[in-house]
Formats: sequence, structure tokens, C-alpha cells
Amino acid sequence: MRRTRIRIDYKLCGDGVGIDPRECGLCLRVCQPAVFLLHQTQGAKEDDPYDPQIWRVTPLWPSLCTRCGECEAVCPAGAIKVSPPVRPDGSAAK
Amino acid sequence: MEHGAGGKWYLNAEHYSNEIAEKYNLREFLLEQYTNFEQMSVRKVNGLSPVGMDHTFQMPIIGRLVKRVAERMLHSQKPPVNPFRPEGHIGQVIPMEDAEAILQHCACEPIIEKNCMCRYMTRGVKEACCINFGVMSEIIDKLPRFIPESEKYHLTREEAVARFREHNAKGYIGTIWYGPYPYINNLCSCESPECAGLRPRVDFGIMSIYKSEYLVELEESHCMACGACVTKCPFGAIRMDKVLERPVIDLERCYGCGVCRHACPTGALYLVPRDRFPALAGTR
Repeated sequence: MRRTRIRIDYKLCGDGVGIDPRECGLCLRVCQPAVFLLHQTQGAKEDDPYDPQIWRVTPLWPSLCTRCGECEAVCPAGAIKVSPPVRPDGSAAK
Repeated sequence: MEHGAGGKWYLNAEHYSNEIAEKYNLREFLLEQYTNFEQMSVRKVNGLSPVGMDHTFQMPIIGRLVKRVAERMLHSQKPPVNPFRPEGHIGQVIPMEDAEAILQHCACEPIIEKNCMCRYMTRGVKEACCINFGVMSEIIDKLPRFIPESEKYHLTREEAVARFREHNAKGYIGTIWYGPYPYINNLCSCESPECAGLRPRVDFGIMSIYKSEYLVELEESHCMACGACVTKCPFGAIRMDKVLERPVIDLERCYGCGVCRHACPTGALYLVPRDRFPALAGTR
């Protein structure tokens, strides 16, 4: 079985487009095994100072993903892509 | 967990003292750590990112190695140096009675109840169920996202006990934490999988938290086989056995949190010391 990979497009969610994931948080709540994590962002380099005001969501535990597709379906920005796709034709669950 | 001559490590009042916090400059350390607490789960450690590391945990040989490295960091007893790593961050599940003893006899005032970091980072939800004491109370004062909006923030010992009982009755798992070793400042009421300390153990077998000093037993003569405890157990350690027509507790899954007792209408469930069972003695 191939590893599940979950990608969030940060040009659609988060500091890139002025959507604060703290206000949304839908993917966090819909995921039964709690794969996602909400956290402050880190600078481009390891020792960059943090910006505690800019937050994003990271899929932290992709091995626990059941590929139910609820996160893809619920994201209002369509920022989440799960691969292998939830449906063979690549469509989301809903 | 080593108890030493004094019994349970979390009942050793020395670990709660302001003297220990002063000795290790923990006000500074904890302020740095809690300002950016949530990112600790994704930040690189020794060049390795925890993100997606769970795939590695599940590999047969290398997985075990990587898990041991993580465990060594969590169990570290060296003086804390890096606030960006969860070094020396180890805890144990405790039942309500032990939490009350801590709040009455060990915790340094001021006692606060803050929004749980783990529920915020896994669900984006603010819930005021994490009790802190000692220098932690000063630190949280400076971090507004942790200060509850509607619940009382500073608590008396009695209020803290009452709040803890409420959480326990809801089925939240009582946990006590070194943070970092040797300072104890966090009495949380956790849920699985939201708790960042429970999840590594429950889902990946990483020794990030110890089971309690107790196990649950059933007094069959009081049991009505209603099944409420089966639903209540957050670890799925109880099942309704159709042949025996009563609940059966899996002692290897039981963490001894004791929340099942709140579900039982007849008080048929009770805690016994874990070491009473020879096959489980010494296991946590």
C-alpha cells in the first residue's frame, strides 16, 4: 500500500492569502484521527525568529490518515490534496 | 518511573517548589517554550523533521531506533537547555484521588486553569481544562491565547479540585507532567488522540507517558451489565463479553485513569494498585 501524502497549498490557506487558519480550523475538526496540527510558522531558515502571529496547519501524522476525504471536501479554499486520491478518478469524497 | 524512597514521584513536593524553578531559571525557559509551544511538534530536531516521521516509526528496525531516540529526549534528566525541544517532558496518568492530593499538598500557588495547548493545536478549540501551578502561572499571564475568556483563571485549591473532578467526570484523563524535568507544573485533563503526550504512546508505542499506578477491577455482585463503562473508557480497555454477560477489563490496555467509575451507576468499578498483579508488576 502506498504511503498517504497530504499536501496543503499554502497559497490557498494561511499567511500567503490572508486566511488565518485559527479562524477556520475546519480540517482540524473534521479529521477523526487528528492528523493535522495548528502551529506558529517558522522562518525560512532553522534559526529565523518565529512569527507568533502567523499560523498554519500541517499534516503531522499522515500514516494515520484513513483517506476518508473529509478534509478535502470541507476546506473552503480547496487547499488540501490527499494522495493516493480518495477516488480513483481523483475527485474528492463529496 | 523511578519512585525512590519517597513513593510516587508526583507526590514529592520538592519537584513543585519555586526553589527548583529558580535553580534552573525556569521562568525564562518556560516563557520561551510556551510562547511558541505549538510549533515544537513540527520543528526539526537534529535536522530531522517530525512531520511524516510517523511513517518511519512503523518500519520494523529503523522505526524502533528512531522511537528510542525520541524517548531518550523525553526522558532526559539533564538540566534543561533548549526550550524548543520537549526534553525531559514526561508524565503519568493519575486518577482523581492522586490529583486531589497534588492540588491540596504539593502544588504551589498561584494555581491557574488555562486553555489546553493540545486541544488548540489539534482541533483549534479553546478549552479551559489544563491546571498549572508555581511559576507557570506567571508565564501564562503573558500569553493571552491561553487565558480563558469565560471560565475563572486563578483558582483556590478547592476550586481547582472541583474543576478537576468535573473534567474527570466528563471522561477526561488526568495526567501529571514534568515540564521540564525536574519541575512539575502541569496537571492536565486529557483526551486521546488530542493530547500530544498520549498520542505517541497510544498510536505509536512511544513511551511518552506512563500508565497510572492503578488498574481497574469490577465487583461483579454490583454490576448490572448496563455497558456504560464500555463507552466511557477512553482507551477501549473494557468490552461487554456476551458469553459472561458482563464487562471484561483488558488489564493490558487499562491505563488506570479511573474515569470509567463515573459512568457506573452502581459503583461496581474500583481501582487497585497495579503491582497487585504479578504479570503486570513493574509495568507502567
